[in-house]
Amino acid sequence: MIPRHFQITVALVLLAILVSGMVIIRITHKEEAMTLRGADTAPVVPVVGGKQEHIQVLVAYDDDQALRWRPADVFLPAERGMRARETLRCVMAQYLQSPSPHPLAKGADIKDVYFINDDTMIVDTTAQFADGHPSGILLEEMTLASLIETLAANVPGITKVKFLVDGKERETLAGHADLMSFYQTAAVHEMAKEFE
Amino acid sequence: MRWSKQRLGKAGLAVAVVALCCALGISADTAEHQLTVYTAQSSYSLPVLDRGGKAYLNVADLLSPLGASQPHVKGKEWRLELNKAELRLTEGKEKAVIRGHQADLGGKVLVEDGRVLVPMDAALSLLSQLLKTAVDYHQPARRIFVGNVFTRFHAELKNGDQPSLVLTFSQPIKRLDANHEEDRGVLFTHTDRTTLTFSQDPLVSDVNKQQFGEGAIQSLTFSEENGAASITVTGNSKLQVIRSEDGKTISLQPQAPVAVATPEPTQQTAPSVEEGQRHTQEFFVMIDPSHGGYDKGAIFGGKLAEKEITLRLARELRKELEERGIAARLLRDSDIDLALERRAEITNEQHAGIYVALHAGRPGRGVRVYSSLLSDPQQPLAGRFLPWDSAQSGALNRSQAAAHAVAGELRKKGLTVASLGMPVRPLNNIVAPAIAVELAPEGDDPQSMESQKRHNTVASAIASGIAQVRGQMGVRP
Ligand SMILES: [Zn+2]
Repeated sequence: MIPRHFQITVALVLLAILVSGMVIIRITHKEEAMTLRGADTAPVVPVVGGKQEHIQVLVAYDDDQALRWRPADVFLPAERGMRARETLRCVMAQYLQSPSPHPLAKGADIKDVYFINDDTMIVDTTAQFADGHPSGILLEEMTLASLIETLAANVPGITKVKFLVDGKERETLAGHADLMSFYQTAAVHEMAKEFE
Repeated sequence: MRWSKQRLGKAGLAVAVVALCCALGISADTAEHQLTVYTAQSSYSLPVLDRGGKAYLNVADLLSPLGASQPHVKGKEWRLELNKAELRLTEGKEKAVIRGHQADLGGKVLVEDGRVLVPMDAALSLLSQLLKTAVDYHQPARRIFVGNVFTRFHAELKNGDQPSLVLTFSQPIKRLDANHEEDRGVLFTHTDRTTLTFSQDPLVSDVNKQQFGEGAIQSLTFSEENGAASITVTGNSKLQVIRSEDGKTISLQPQAPVAVATPEPTQQTAPSVEEGQRHTQEFFVMIDPSHGGYDKGAIFGGKLAEKEITLRLARELRKELEERGIAARLLRDSDIDLALERRAEITNEQHAGIYVALHAGRPGRGVRVYSSLLSDPQQPLAGRFLPWDSAQSGALNRSQAAAHAVAGELRKKGLTVASLGMPVRPLNNIVAPAIAVELAPEGDDPQSMESQKRHNTVASAIASGIAQVRGQMGVRP
């Protein structure tokens, strides 16, 4: 038998947690309502600190199955991880414009990037990046080569890159290109030469 | 700060949800529920449906993989046969008639759009009475074992230069998914967890936890839930998972530091024992008509699926090879789903002389021939193990030679050809020489993908290329 005073104590603690939870929800709702009202003028994306840079990005062109370096002006933070993410987003932006040299699905984006050690980077993409990626060996490899080469060129010291999709491992990008392996940037550099 | 208040709000919401769940006894599990049935022939999973808070199964999902007829209605009764035994179910009734005897189902039979649903827990009596065999039901984990099909394992920690945990299984493992998680705590504590999930193997264990010590590999736990079993290995280092070729051993060891350049394979990557025996077997080409079933691959002209083109081309290639006196097998000869990993396993198990994957894809024109690009060559273990992700390393030179020969023959036929080294799945997992051939539409015309003449030309060139290098395929240059 559990003593009665213990039962009462547990019940009171649970009640207290429940009530405090409810109070916090109410506060948050007020806060959200205020935020929504002010949303018209508030910037959607937080401003990333750093400076405007003139960089080179490797862009895939489906028409002639080539990868070509193109200049781009982009605001790059000093911190390595943030710099890597913004560099990759700059490549994605090339493909999301219309007309696109290498169309990707709407919503394709970089969710997050992080280093697992100094030279190894994990790139987490949105589900739309893979779910909506056109299927085909060459199309998929061109996407990966363009992202990895641009990353290696603009963020020094990265030698291995692995992709996740919405936080999870996936076998292939769209049925063909390997997403399970860690890509060696040196090997991808050789691969990219095949598209010259 | 807006950010901190949002965080506070989220935390508050989480606290409230947890408190509510505790108070009401609700599980937060929202994953799709499934039940898995293991038999000596196969394993299959079926969805578990929630009907008024009770778990139900579609009786056809449960019994047709075992060879049962589709339920047909006769008067008020639904009937189906399995092994000449009859099952009769009536909508709204809690009893079934099996082989003429009444059986309690523990809930009402439901009928929805011609689908007959029975309570999940009734699966045990339905299977045991229809099949007249021993059936084990692990109810909380939703796993049913028909006959004595259990796979057992034992774990042994080997402390050499590098510790490795060797799991030995009583039967080959069919499918394995590995997942890695790490926790970096305060004061430099760091825990790595590698979870191996076995969705198609009747894996059971009498021991749920084993402790090994304090190092890279510290403990192992066995658990089962939602129609699958898993083994979780905890330690302080990320582990590499390597399955032996026969599927009966899995070894886990700390990841070796990886070389940056792509070295030529050394003597250490010598073929496994099994591969050595291969040379005495007949040489045959394993043709992989890529995609199939739900995986349609690329779509041309709005309706023509890559999976259909690859199958047609595969049959054509088999014919061309046989005309040149070379044996060939198809990995699929109908519209079925086959995981990439499984395609590699079958090719390795059957000791193919060469593997040829067929694809069809945009952009461009002509034909592209691929060999593997080993992006992450791993140091193989000694003996009979080959690292799964670089199983191709010992055959890469021969794969490149085959790709070169096939590309040359395609060019002779006047086709535009590119020969490329790329990380295409599952080339890296194949022990034998392996290439992929991708047919592109001619001048953006989807009709060209269906052209019988073009299929003939391409298949004939691939066959001639293989015939040319056949002599070199079994031996390392
Ligand atoms: Zn394909």
